[in-house]
Amino acid sequence: MPKLLALAGGAALAGCQWLVWCYAPEEATLGLMQKIFYVHLPLAWWALISFFVVFLGSLAVLARRSEAADRLCAAAAEVGVLFSGLTLLTGMIWARRSWGVWWTWDPRLSTALVMWFIYAAYLLLRGLDMAPERRRTVCAVVGVAAFLDVPLVFVSARIWRSIHPAVFASRGGGLEPEMKLTAVACVAAMGLFWAALVWLRKRQLDLAARLEAADADED
Amino acid sequence: MDTLYWLLAANAVVWIGFGAYLAFLAGRERALALRLARWERSARG
Repeated sequence: MPKLLALAGGAALAGCQWLVWCYAPEEATLGLMQKIFYVHLPLAWWALISFFVVFLGSLAVLARRSEAADRLCAAAAEVGVLFSGLTLLTGMIWARRSWGVWWTWDPRLSTALVMWFIYAAYLLLRGLDMAPERRRTVCAVVGVAAFLDVPLVFVSARIWRSIHPAVFASRGGGLEPEMKLTAVACVAAMGLFWAALVWLRKRQLDLAARLEAADADED
Repeated sequence: MDTLYWLLAANAVVWIGFGAYLAFLAGRERALALRLARWERSARG
């Protein structure tokens, strides 16, 4: 099932290429370069959703000592770090072309980079050699605390002076209907792919946990 | 360098990133399958 979902997501992303290149009109000010938006925005949104899943899963670990929720956190954090890393890289390429620099210490960019480091550190923490119960609790506490930065990334472009555009700053995001449809389709297609990756990774972690439990029983 | 070059670079970065993670998942899948097969052999005696 997750493999089918991954295939559907991959096919949907490929289909979205037609919308991006043939259907959506060229933006008047940014020109052709604005088409990075259709990959940059979905990556960013699904990265934020990944970290929200880590937050919810961490709460479940703390409240119910759920091992399955802990593994969901691990899977979502990995995919979130991948997606936010790609968001930063595509943003840097866009910035280099549009602003003339690879990086600037803008509030949105800085908070997003801090978020990436926090969750990369979270993944390193998960890899440390600790008693499983202790690791689950420590990671759950970090998973809840780490989420503090996520809403900050979302609102940073609006509450501070930022050169990064805020998509929700004006009603409707200031997009042409064709652009809006393309953006929505790209977000949905990326969502399918994101769900497949999280599902696949969670399933692997479940199997690894079962094998470890079976090995422990034999010992 | 023209705009199309930058656009292609951005798309390439995304697909290389996805490809790398899918390769990592495939590697883990293979390792788990081997471990499962070993466990089944040892369970059978």
